[in-house]
Amino acid sequence: MKIVVCVKQVPDMESKFVVVDNKKIDEAQIAFKMNDFDEFAVEAALQIKEKMGGEVIIVSAGPERVVKDIRQAFAMGADWGIHIKDPEIDAGDSTVIASAIHKAIEKIGDADLVLTGVMSEDNQFTLTGVMLSHLMDIPHGTNIVKLEVADEKSITVNRELEGGLNEVIEMSLPAVLSIQSGLNQPRYPTLPGIMKAKKKRLDVMTAADLGLSEVGAAGSKTEFIKMFVPVSEHKAEIIEGDAKTAAAALVNKLKNEAKVI
Amino acid sequence: MGKILVIAEHRDGKLSDGTKELCKVAKEMAEMSGNTAAAAVFSADDAIAKEVSKYIPEVLSGVDAKLAQYTADGYSQAAKSVIEAGDVAGVVISHGYDGVDFAAQVAMSIGAGIVSGINKVEFSDGKFVFTRNIYNGKLQEQRSVKTDKFVVTVEKGAWDKEAAGSEGTITSVDVAVGDVRTTVKEVIETTKGAVDISQAKLIVAGGRGTKDAEKYQATVVALAQKLKGEYGASRAVVDAGWTDHARQIGQSGKTVAPDLYIGLGLSGAIQHVAGMKGAKCIVAVNKDPEAPIFNIATYGIVGDLFEVVPAMIEALDS
Ligand SMILES: Cc1cc2nc3c(=O)[nH]c(=O)nc-3n(C[C@H](O)[C@H](O)[C@H](O)COP(=O)(O)OP(=O)(O)OC[C@H]3O[C@@H](n4cnc5c(N)ncnc54)[C@H](O)[C@@H]3O)c2cc1C
Repeated sequence: MKIVVCVKQVPDMESKFVVVDNKKIDEAQIAFKMNDFDEFAVEAALQIKEKMGGEVIIVSAGPERVVKDIRQAFAMGADWGIHIKDPEIDAGDSTVIASAIHKAIEKIGDADLVLTGVMSEDNQFTLTGVMLSHLMDIPHGTNIVKLEVADEKSITVNRELEGGLNEVIEMSLPAVLSIQSGLNQPRYPTLPGIMKAKKKRLDVMTAADLGLSEVGAAGSKTEFIKMFVPVSEHKAEIIEGDAKTAAAALVNKLKNEAKVI
Repeated sequence: MGKILVIAEHRDGKLSDGTKELCKVAKEMAEMSGNTAAAAVFSADDAIAKEVSKYIPEVLSGVDAKLAQYTADGYSQAAKSVIEAGDVAGVVISHGYDGVDFAAQVAMSIGAGIVSGINKVEFSDGKFVFTRNIYNGKLQEQRSVKTDKFVVTVEKGAWDKEAAGSEGTITSVDVAVGDVRTTVKEVIETTKGAVDISQAKLIVAGGRGTKDAEKYQATVVALAQKLKGEYGASRAVVDAGWTDHARQIGQSGKTVAPDLYIGLGLSGAIQHVAGMKGAKCIVAVNKDPEAPIFNIATYGIVGDLFEVVPAMIEALDS
């Protein structure tokens, strides 16, 4: 099996977010990491490879800093990867990103399975996987919480639904699956894994290398207007003081003001 | 003039609440832009179409045996044929499990721009401006589409449900559904027979910030026991295996509405909040003053839960 995993680097959501000119976040304050959902996707791919043989290929778009997390996936056990490195692609919307990944997958050739995370924690679009399946003209499943590959022709997966329900669906391969958190326990890289990761093949490709002519704003079907810190109509009453003082004041309020304990 | 077209969401003969919210959104958008609001219902008969017509003036009913059950291929092909047959200005889909499964396929197949998870819409200079959450709700962005038609998915609970009126007009439409590449085998329940926290009056819930299974026990479970309530968790905790799936609160877990909900070391992601925003009194303990949970909490303590929780237990003892 040839499995492609799409990996995105995102800010750690506990970072301090400062918006510059309503256009972007100040990266100086941000620690970056692999998108949580993608870690589950990498692990899922590695488990299929262990069972069926084959290779796991990472595709990731972004600036130089994303190499850290591509190598992280290599250290977990992925074989090689493509780094789509072009500011004009990064400036595009999900249509542009999906098109670029599609071209990269064509370069890889003969993929049996493409895995993405359900969404990226930064943009939260939840679109790329489905767009990719449309461009590749193959079936897809989203929010996958269980998958079983019986052979190289078809796959059975559980698609998560509301209220603890799962829909069990079958589709032929190749297919695109967007992976939901919790379907496995992503492994930690081992020290030998980290050493090997440094030497694994990583091809760098631009829009021109991929044969993609419409990138940036020209290739986008949506227009970003601005970003901002949301103004909430409601804010919690923050109880001040050291832990002891605040805890005692809180217990007092719950007893005498809210009357809930 | 064109239609702002809702695609109805239903399962097992039951219309989703999300669809009633979509009807509200579509009417609001139609009014601000001088369009009309309509809904398309895809099914194997027109029972659901009748139901939907109580919420929106015009319903297009696409009936086909292949639409008896939701599939991404079935829905996106049906949507494409309805959009191409009529004067549709844009399509409004729920940002739920089915919606995110097929909305992008509809957008791609009609060449339209898509904006997902919107929670606010304005109309200015002849176009819609959509607001949506980014960075786990710490920030928001505004986005519009550049194409003639648009597709949006709508965040659940961002709009109220439209109230039912009398039945409106239903027009049957041809839907061309060809090849459906996925086969639904069955729908299974994953938390059957497990503990049910949905009726609890007091819940202490823990998130990733509780660090590991032992510390989750020592803080979340201990405080819940002290207060004689139930304990619950965010998805991150359940994924890590620190407690059972039946205790997960949120979109993919339980919906709870206790008198008191205490959230420890969880950020308040929208999918979690979806399951607990009905709580009467919400307490949040989080070391990050910008965590979104503080936007819905009644009381908050900005601090380390490993200091605050023992101090709370002590205060409860005295
Ligand atoms: C389709 C879909 C469905 C989902 N369904 C659900 C669902 O049903 N339920 C659900 O919960 N999630 C759900 N999620 C996941 C959701 O998006 C979040 O990833 C998840 O809720 C995060 O869990 P968390 O708040 O525990 O972790 P995080 O977001 O990582 O937050 C941890 C918090 O702990 C704080 N913290 C850390 N250490 C301390 C300390 N010592 N003291 C105090 N605070 C501390 C941090 O500041 C941070 O705010 C779903 C996601 C998707 C895509």
